Amino acid sequence: MASLLKNALKAIREKGIVNALRTLREEGYTKCLLDGNILQTKIHNIGGTLVGVDKFGNKYYQRYEGIPHGRHRWVEYGDKGRYNASQIPAEWHGWLHHITDHTGDELLMLKPKRYGIDHKQNYSGEGEELIYHSKGHALNPGQRDWTRYQSWQPTKK
Amino acid sequence: MGLGLLALRASRSLALNRLPRAFAYQNPSNNAIIRGIVSTPELQNPEAAAAVQQPEPAPELPPRKPVAGARVHFTNPDDAIEVFVDGYPVKVPKGMTVLQACEIAGVDIPRFCYHSRLSVAGNCRMCLVEVEKSPKPVASCAMPALPGMKIKTDTPIAKKAREGVMEFLLMNHPLDCPICDQGGECDLQDQSMAFGSDRGRFTEMKRSVVDKNLGPLVKTVMTRCIQCTRCVRFATEVAGVQDLGILGRGSGEEIGTYVEKLMTSELSGNVIDICPVGALTSKPFAFKARNWELKGTESIDVTDAVGSNIRIDSRGPEVLRITPRLNEDINEEWISDKTRFFYDGLKRQRLNDPMIRGPDGRFKAVTWRDALAVVAEVLHQVKAEEIVGVAGKLSDAESMMALKDLLNKMGSNNIWCEGNGSDPQADLRSGFLLNSSIAGLEKADVFLLVGTQPRVEAAMVNARIRKTVRATQAKVGYIGPPTDINYDHQHLGTGTQTLLEIAEGRHPFCSALLHAKNPAIIVGAGLFEHKDKDAMFSAVETIAKLGKVVRPDWNGLNVLLLNAAQSAALDLGLVPESGNSVESAKFLYLMGADDVDLDKVASDAFVVYQGHHGDRSVYRANVILPASAFSEKEGTYENTEGCSQETLPAVPIVGDARDDWKIIRALSEVAGIRLPYDTLGAVRTRIRTVAPNLLHLDEREPSAISSVAVKPQFSQKVSIAPFGAAVENFYMTDSITRASKIMAQCTAQLLK
Repeated sequence: MASLLKNALKAIREKGIVNALRTLREEGYTKCLLDGNILQTKIHNIGGTLVGVDKFGNKYYQRYEGIPHGRHRWVEYGDKGRYNASQIPAEWHGWLHHITDHTGDELLMLKPKRYGIDHKQNYSGEGEELIYHSKGHALNPGQRDWTRYQSWQPTKK
Repeated sequence: MGLGLLALRASRSLALNRLPRAFAYQNPSNNAIIRGIVSTPELQNPEAAAAVQQPEPAPELPPRKPVAGARVHFTNPDDAIEVFVDGYPVKVPKGMTVLQACEIAGVDIPRFCYHSRLSVAGNCRMCLVEVEKSPKPVASCAMPALPGMKIKTDTPIAKKAREGVMEFLLMNHPLDCPICDQGGECDLQDQSMAFGSDRGRFTEMKRSVVDKNLGPLVKTVMTRCIQCTRCVRFATEVAGVQDLGILGRGSGEEIGTYVEKLMTSELSGNVIDICPVGALTSKPFAFKARNWELKGTESIDVTDAVGSNIRIDSRGPEVLRITPRLNEDINEEWISDKTRFFYDGLKRQRLNDPMIRGPDGRFKAVTWRDALAVVAEVLHQVKAEEIVGVAGKLSDAESMMALKDLLNKMGSNNIWCEGNGSDPQADLRSGFLLNSSIAGLEKADVFLLVGTQPRVEAAMVNARIRKTVRATQAKVGYIGPPTDINYDHQHLGTGTQTLLEIAEGRHPFCSALLHAKNPAIIVGAGLFEHKDKDAMFSAVETIAKLGKVVRPDWNGLNVLLLNAAQSAALDLGLVPESGNSVESAKFLYLMGADDVDLDKVASDAFVVYQGHHGDRSVYRANVILPASAFSEKEGTYENTEGCSQETLPAVPIVGDARDDWKIIRALSEVAGIRLPYDTLGAVRTRIRTVAPNLLHLDEREPSAISSVAVKPQFSQKVSIAPFGAAVENFYMTDSITRASKIMAQCTAQLLK
């Protein structure tokens, strides 16, 4: 706890009080009191090693000592408002779930350049316009040009 | 497939073994981890399997029906032999294979390479059966049935043999059923339900084969091929092209064209049907639908005069594919590429609203009431002899009847059907029919093709001639422009000169005709358009008399028509009064007629176009009345051999279009000359008074009198002119095929 305070004071001294407060808000400390999950993660972070940060701002930590088995690796979501597990990109998913010991940054090298598309979180329930619809789906706005037949156009000739 | 039945019987015989197996599994030491791959482990060892087989009491055999109506035809009663299939005695003629004997006994043998219309290859080994006193299971498709043979089709040995074959076949077969177009109608898929294992022992990499480009119609996924060689045999034997072959041996074996080459046959689409797996599938149909989503409508092809039996597969309002139906007398089980792939034309260039050409020359969509009022008004303004009607290539008998009745009520009799020429001979049916019938051509031993190229005019008739030539080495003489004929033939000459030489007995081919038992002369309907067609036909009839072509037991004097509507039109008496009626017409009613020479039409003539496609004649029309296509209506068509058949509606009518006969009936009402029929049944009753044979569906009505006996001798001088080709482009002959994108691709790629 003491080191935490020391760090906070150091940050204020370096950045000034306004910037330090902004950083605090961005880091989600201001939400800690309202959202127990964030508070719990922040407490968990103490003593953890930051392994990497992905492009969405998710921070990946690990700590092997003094932690019950299966809780060695965890994530602090970049999005402090509506975080969910589908925001974890595929390359970090494997590391996080102990499928591999390679970190996401290392696995990103293997991602195919030509056809590998960006990770997209699951937007189910967040609005029809965000959800993927297949080609023939009635709600897909771009794909409704199917016609039963093509009529002869008299003006052609 | 009947395989369900087979599997059922197999499991029933296994039920007898269930007791010992249950005991075996109760013993913990016997319940070992090592298990066979086959789902019936106790059958791993045939001896043990035979040992556990309890002596069955003499089984009560229920009477069985032959598979798919298989019939036995005994040419010589002495040749009958008796074999036993699963203990059931059956009499078959000598020379039949074991597989055919089993089919007659009502047992469906699984098979991949065997096809009843192709030669026997015997390389898939799926049809293995057990024969008593034979050391190994035998391939039933290649084994002739012998007297007293005891064939067993559902024994554990036969089942195990087939399971083994299936395992080898699946070894190199990709597991892509979910993305395979054959899924749901795949022989391999069906039979693996009965004989497939529930796990695989193959851990190596599967073989992969480069896909071949066979053209715009057939899609190949050669990795799926199981080397049954049905397509190779079809191409060489039925289609008559040497394009496909087999290359390599063992696991390097593949089907291909050897050099990069398209498959240029007019029957190439049939390899899609005969391929038992998804190696050859339809390119236009690829990934469009699953076969269980489709509604099948049994209908008739109208793109040529053969009237091939087809099934129109549709989903909702769309025609998605066309497949052949079995009809031994007409198309056997094949159809031409044009028939199979022109369906996308049904969706393009459709007329969907009645239209009137305004004073500015532009068409404007109007209501039916307005359009019919305009037509009726003009109809009353012109003189009766200036009213002319032309029925198109695709017209059905009902609408032609209605049009003729309408024009007759107006006092005009200038009506004919495209392709019949300006002065058709309609009095004697033998003068325009294929008198020896399409199936009857197989009896002929000498063919004389006069001005006809059956390969492009009627591909199914050509396939029949080729079948005959292949089976009996029949001689074929051809008179006409140089063309590609896919069987042995003699090109005798190009025109009337040669015809006259044969008629006068000066030509060497005469001796072949004179010595023939059943000579057949086939005259092309392209000759109808010639100026001196009467003289040409008299010459042909002289040849017929010379070669005794027409006898009480054989009528070999044939005319091969070009269009679906032609013979029904002649039966209904659509014969114009004057030869040059188009030039003098002031009111021209075109019922789907797109090949009329419209340059001859006077500029002040009023042209009504009633049809389903905006093709050629619409550009000259004053009023357009949208009608339904053959896939959307019930209509009677008579084919070139005089067999009436019916189309059935598969998809709904587009837009505001109506059935042809209904439009004419409505027009007659507006014009104040009401035609006396309101239903299709009533129109047919009217047809019965004119040509009752059109109502005898699916029955060939041969002509009663031969034209040779009653017609006078020819005396008219014939001009020496070569015959022209009646069909320029096989793939595009009528308004639907001209609208089709696939047919346009074929024209561009295959007719180079």
